[in-house]
Amino acid sequence: MASTTLTPEAGAPEQTAVRSSDPTPRRRKSPREGGHWPWFALPAVVLVAVFFALPFLLNAGFAFSDWSGFSDEIGFNGIDNFRTLIDQEIFWPAVRTTLLYAVCVLVFEMAVSLTLALALESTTRINTIFRSLFFIPVLISPLAAGYIWKGMLATNGPINGMLSFLLPGTVETAWLGDPTTALPAVALIEAWKWSGLITLVYIAGLKAIPKELLEAATIDGANAWSRFWRIKLRMLAPALTFNVAVTLAVALMAYDVIAPTTGGGPGDHTTTLNIAMRLQWGQSFFGPASALSLTVAVLVIASAVPLVMWMRKKEVAQ
Amino acid sequence: MRWMLRAVVTAVLLVAAAFAVTACGSSDDSSEGGSTASSAGATTGAKPGTKITLWHNSADPPALRQLYRDFEADTGIELEAVANPSAGFEDTTLTRWASGSRPDVLEYHPTVTNLLALNPRANLRDLSGEAYIAKSGDLYRSAATVDGKTYGAVIGFPQVFGIFYNKDVFARAGIETPPTNAAELIEACRTILARAPGVTPIAESGGSQWPVQVLPTLLMGDANPDNRWGQELRSNRAHLDDDGSPFTRAMETYKQLRDDGCFNRDAASATVENSVRGLVEGRVAMVALHSDMIAAMVAAAGGDAAKVDRAIGFFAIGGETPAATYIPSPIGSYYLPRTGDADREAAALEFIRYVTGRGYGRYIAAARAFPVIEGTPEPAGVSALAREVKAAYDRGPANIAYAADVPGVGGVMVLINKLLIGQVEPQQIAEQTQKAVEQAAKAAKLEGW
Repeated sequence: MASTTLTPEAGAPEQTAVRSSDPTPRRRKSPREGGHWPWFALPAVVLVAVFFALPFLLNAGFAFSDWSGFSDEIGFNGIDNFRTLIDQEIFWPAVRTTLLYAVCVLVFEMAVSLTLALALESTTRINTIFRSLFFIPVLISPLAAGYIWKGMLATNGPINGMLSFLLPGTVETAWLGDPTTALPAVALIEAWKWSGLITLVYIAGLKAIPKELLEAATIDGANAWSRFWRIKLRMLAPALTFNVAVTLAVALMAYDVIAPTTGGGPGDHTTTLNIAMRLQWGQSFFGPASALSLTVAVLVIASAVPLVMWMRKKEVAQ
Repeated sequence: MRWMLRAVVTAVLLVAAAFAVTACGSSDDSSEGGSTASSAGATTGAKPGTKITLWHNSADPPALRQLYRDFEADTGIELEAVANPSAGFEDTTLTRWASGSRPDVLEYHPTVTNLLALNPRANLRDLSGEAYIAKSGDLYRSAATVDGKTYGAVIGFPQVFGIFYNKDVFARAGIETPPTNAAELIEACRTILARAPGVTPIAESGGSQWPVQVLPTLLMGDANPDNRWGQELRSNRAHLDDDGSPFTRAMETYKQLRDDGCFNRDAASATVENSVRGLVEGRVAMVALHSDMIAAMVAAAGGDAAKVDRAIGFFAIGGETPAATYIPSPIGSYYLPRTGDADREAAALEFIRYVTGRGYGRYIAAARAFPVIEGTPEPAGVSALAREVKAAYDRGPANIAYAADVPGVGGVMVLINKLLIGQVEPQQIAEQTQKAVEQAAKAAKLEGW
């Protein structure tokens, strides 16, 4: 729409007059006609190529090499790295933990953010304050957030202190040291970290819903739940697609919240692919580390892309 | 758009090709020679004003930092000290190292395990023949030396591993003689559980990762006199998962201690700082640690070293018989990476000669540390606890930890953490670790693999 206003046909009368006096009037091509608009995309394309595509390609190569700190020679070794990681019972547990972690984060984050967005939808002074408060964790470094929560969730930390105050007896749960609670605990921290951002996206989506639609539904007798389920949630589809895609990608690449809180433990209950990658790297096994890194990339592409395509299709259908 | 696609693809291929050439090229030219070809008293030819870089551990004590400043003042050589954080020290250093970046002087672990990960033959200067080596007893038989070539300089006293215990808790539990082997340790734990309720017999710190290795290492320390077992493991003549291996037996004892309730309930996630504080405050009876953690105990006691001396004792222990297990300390151990710059290499060698020579005595006096180079007197003012540790080491037998010469055992801490929560059995740890050893030994092209 905006491009048509820039064409001579849509110009103001005086502009047309100036052009009519020009013996060789230059006509700006529209993007559809293949003008020089692609130049604007060049910086982005170069950045993506240098900082994303190239490392990805190189990493893919190293995943099939015997690169290590022990030798200065790097040779092709086929799928040996994957075989070694499977043999050492690192690969599949890490894939399983990563997927489980991503699902937990997705569920926690969507539930919290959507609830918050509905609660803080109207722009009042108090809601603005709360929106800002919930956005603060987004601005905190993930490592700092991890260290803060590690202290909060320690056996003698404030969370157990508060629970001991509220409940009978003394609560000494090792939230980050117990195999049953460690993964949900770190997933909750990740969700806490990003919920503020996801909430804002949902609020923007809610604001875009025409008021007339909701008023008409109310007049037709739709209650609050029906309005949410039949109108708001469906109209939020684009925001939902964006939020799910971003959350999933971030959760599958999880490292920075887990490293300071559990370091992958207890045992390997929170050892996601990136944590396992770091452990391999720290032992100078760069080939296996690259293999794990490649697995993360493949996992993100294989899960996020079809999901986004499916959700986009659903949006169009609605 | 097609031209743009072509340009991007061309650029990617060019960079990839350049990378492949640099990454895959062998460095035969640097595999031989490169020795400092030095002898005691020879000059390095270092020029004042030369600027060199040191990668060091952020946990370097003040006395060591003063040594760096003294070096600058006495030689006129400018030393830019770049700290690698002590938490994740190995990871950070190796990540930087893997990127191809090189300092002129590198402070890092002198154990052969860690040295091999630096690929010393290709990347480090050979310091064999430097004067300090002959004056350090048999230290370089097990430290900073690969295939008969010494690549490093060690000025710190070895980290001695053992069990630090709270004397009051032992007295309350009626334990007059500290345990000396696995069976006695299990018995001592049961006694503490029965007679000192509320006290954790042994504090473990899975949240800090490395401490969980210490106790199992102690329990197999007596199986490694003269590093014979370590050498056999390294050369593929013995394996961690052999029937009845000291490794598996140590893990079985560890499991027994866990099953008996000897460890704290949050053993898998607790931090070493909490364990040390509990020990000083009498909430914990024992913690298996190394001698460099005495400083942390003093810090936990509010800086009161005398209080620590009164409250804490130390004993050596083994699986069957007592042994002081040690590793050469990463604090104050230096390598000289090859940089190809003659002036900087000369200045870096001057650094090594300074810290092992004319700067050494002043450093030892300031650090109140035990010297490892002959001709330097023991300083005054060393704490009673540190002397107790040193006495155990001197009394012997003092065996280097099995892992000092065996590459690929870095992942054992994760496996021990799994054992703490019942995720694996001792034999599985042995098998998994042995696979990692094989992986590393083959990568390092060690003899016998």
